[in-house]
Amino acid sequence: MSVRKWLEDKQKFGGLIEAFFEEAVRNSIAHENDKQIILSENNNDLWARCENCGNMLHIKFSKQNKSVCEERGNHLSMDSMERIEPSIDPNTWIPLDEDTISKDVLSFCDEESYENRLIRSQEKTGLPEAVQTGIGYSNGTLIAPGVMDFQFMGGSMGSAVGEKITRLIEYATQKLLPLVLVCASGGARMQEGTVSLMQMAKISSALHYYQVQKKLLYISILTYPTTGGVTASFGMLGDIIIAESKAYIAFAGKRVIEETLGQKVPDGFQLAEALFENGLLDLIVPRILIKGVLSEISDLYSSVPYKKN
Amino acid sequence: MAAVILPQHSSLYSVKTSLAPPARTASSSKIGVETGDFTILHSSKNGVTNDVQLRSILRNAQVKRCRMYSKVTAMLKRGGRKTPDKEYPWPQKMRPQDLIGSPLPFLSRFKPLPQKSKPVHLPFELPLVDIQKKIHEVRELADSTGMDFSMQLNELQEKYEEVRRDLYTHLSPIQRLSVARHPSRPTCLDHILTITDKWLELHGDRAGFDDPAIISGIGKIDGMSFMFIGHQKGRNTKENIYRNFAMPTPNGYRKALRMMQHAAHHGFPILTFVDTPGAYAGIQAEERGQGEAIARNLREMFGLRVPIITTVIGEGGSGGALAIGCCDKMLMLENSVYYVASPEACAAILWKKAAAAPKATEAMRITAHELMKMDIVDDVIPEPLGGAHSDPFTTSMNMKKVIMKHMHELLKVDPEPLLERRFAKFRKIGAHQEAVNLDPRMKRKMKPRDAPPEMGEPKLLTSSVRENLEFNLKAASTANPSE
Repeated sequence: MSVRKWLEDKQKFGGLIEAFFEEAVRNSIAHENDKQIILSENNNDLWARCENCGNMLHIKFSKQNKSVCEERGNHLSMDSMERIEPSIDPNTWIPLDEDTISKDVLSFCDEESYENRLIRSQEKTGLPEAVQTGIGYSNGTLIAPGVMDFQFMGGSMGSAVGEKITRLIEYATQKLLPLVLVCASGGARMQEGTVSLMQMAKISSALHYYQVQKKLLYISILTYPTTGGVTASFGMLGDIIIAESKAYIAFAGKRVIEETLGQKVPDGFQLAEALFENGLLDLIVPRILIKGVLSEISDLYSSVPYKKN
Repeated sequence: MAAVILPQHSSLYSVKTSLAPPARTASSSKIGVETGDFTILHSSKNGVTNDVQLRSILRNAQVKRCRMYSKVTAMLKRGGRKTPDKEYPWPQKMRPQDLIGSPLPFLSRFKPLPQKSKPVHLPFELPLVDIQKKIHEVRELADSTGMDFSMQLNELQEKYEEVRRDLYTHLSPIQRLSVARHPSRPTCLDHILTITDKWLELHGDRAGFDDPAIISGIGKIDGMSFMFIGHQKGRNTKENIYRNFAMPTPNGYRKALRMMQHAAHHGFPILTFVDTPGAYAGIQAEERGQGEAIARNLREMFGLRVPIITTVIGEGGSGGALAIGCCDKMLMLENSVYYVASPEACAAILWKKAAAAPKATEAMRITAHELMKMDIVDDVIPEPLGGAHSDPFTTSMNMKKVIMKHMHELLKVDPEPLLERRFAKFRKIGAHQEAVNLDPRMKRKMKPRDAPPEMGEPKLLTSSVRENLEFNLKAASTANPSE
């Protein structure tokens, strides 16, 4: 039982020890085929490393714990699938605009052509674009979520991302659904030039119809990292802005500021906690509680007496 | 004497006040001065008396072997350069001609520069400079020898014009970028003062700040009042530092938003002028919510029930430019640029070397004509040969003509259709495609539909927003600009 003791010393694992043994038993009786799939799907990765404290996390545990580091509570990056899966009730998800993809409008070519880059990213991440949109029930409430994925070209906002989000907002406007956008992006996609910049205006205009004219509820969730054009458009426009703990949220990145000012910026600057101090966020929520918080919020807003639509 | 302790970073003013007592009476041991002295020092704003005062004070201090002497000189040197701005809030000397007519030009802080700035030549203008030098040499020769060189001079002049025409009719994107960033390119206020008959500048975001990088005010063109908002670059280094190189802080954007709402409230059409390298990237700017300020502007501009025309007069840098650029009509000067990230930044990120900036400039398609092809820009305003800086007046007049043409068109439209058209203008921008038979491998990380079929297919209703949108898109695509 030495392993068990060692784990108990680590304390914070809590109920995960049982999960570990369950998992071990399940794995041992799993079929050969399943094993192969698991191996190929997970790229043979068993361990993940927390970027901040260097702590090693077992992938299985970390998935159950929503990729939160045990040591200091750092939130590791998470792909869109991992986010949608647990927060939407089973058998209620309807994806929207699955086949909308980017087009190389400028025939842009840096060290690699944009077209190739797109195909390579699609193959690597298994996503056609940097955002997944759809509708589904979350704790019994129908919501319209859009989840960005940082793995796909840094979550950058190109025309396809802009179009998908705009369509989602239009859909939510018509069906009077609460809108939830989970942001994780490096900003506008440079390969599409000024067209990608205009997506900021496009999404904001759709949000004007949604928020100002129809008076509906939009919750934006900012995760690690939300920067550039996304912060400066729909990221910061939420009626309620929620940030994940220790998320990096900025308009100009740390490096840009250091270059312009010629001095080091302080540690912890532009983290969610610092932004909260400056009054730019409503609340900071640990990842594991986000679903609960969302349903509480929608409950609070559903009983507003003076809403007319 | 021991009581005279200077604060660490005292300005000229505090030096004066703390130095005054030893100058008057050595026995005085109070810090500060009596009111009489104070007013003398305070009111002596013109340089001469000021200097005399200080010199006499210094001499006195020297005679009395003031203990703080060495410190005082250092501070005087440091603080001495910060002479109070004589032009602020208005020029100290009021001339008789200032009192005639409208008082607004007298009160304006934006005055013609006292001396003309040196001509700056861009790298691609070298052949022109060579010919100019030759002309100059021939002229000197003619003057010194008294011989007639008019034929050669004419020939050279013609060659100069020809080379100039060649250069400026086929500008490459990189050359256009350098013209757009030309130090003597006319700034926003230069244009405004040329095209307006009356101009009143308004200040402040009413939340504690007034950002000089964004200027705003009301002006009259052809008997009609407009709200002007724009990024203001400096005309020299001193002004550039004051204007922060036209990089606005969040307060600047909040000021712009206040002005836009003010305009919508009173029914002024809005003209915005974009000329910024981007929003300011600084610690304080981030802390005050640069992203939030821009985002709010973007959203609120789609609810303003007055026509908005944006003109890009120099560089339009990223979100910082778009924050005052959500408009009904977007115009661009011929040699201006509009980009999502500066070519230098783009080269550093995508090519991972700064030397690739020219390549990035070509690849990003940032010039006015390219953007017009992409339907982002509605009209291109021609510049005179040699760029806007060679003839600012003609540029401004061209601009006025084009702006007024589009404004008359927009003024005929009612507010509701106006907002819908503005929405449709941006709604149609984008280059995406609906993939046919997308490889399922590319969708493996997408959550597939797991809802039962009875939940139905999500479809947009053919009503309200969508219907209007489709109608507007059709109207926008078939609209004839001359209508």
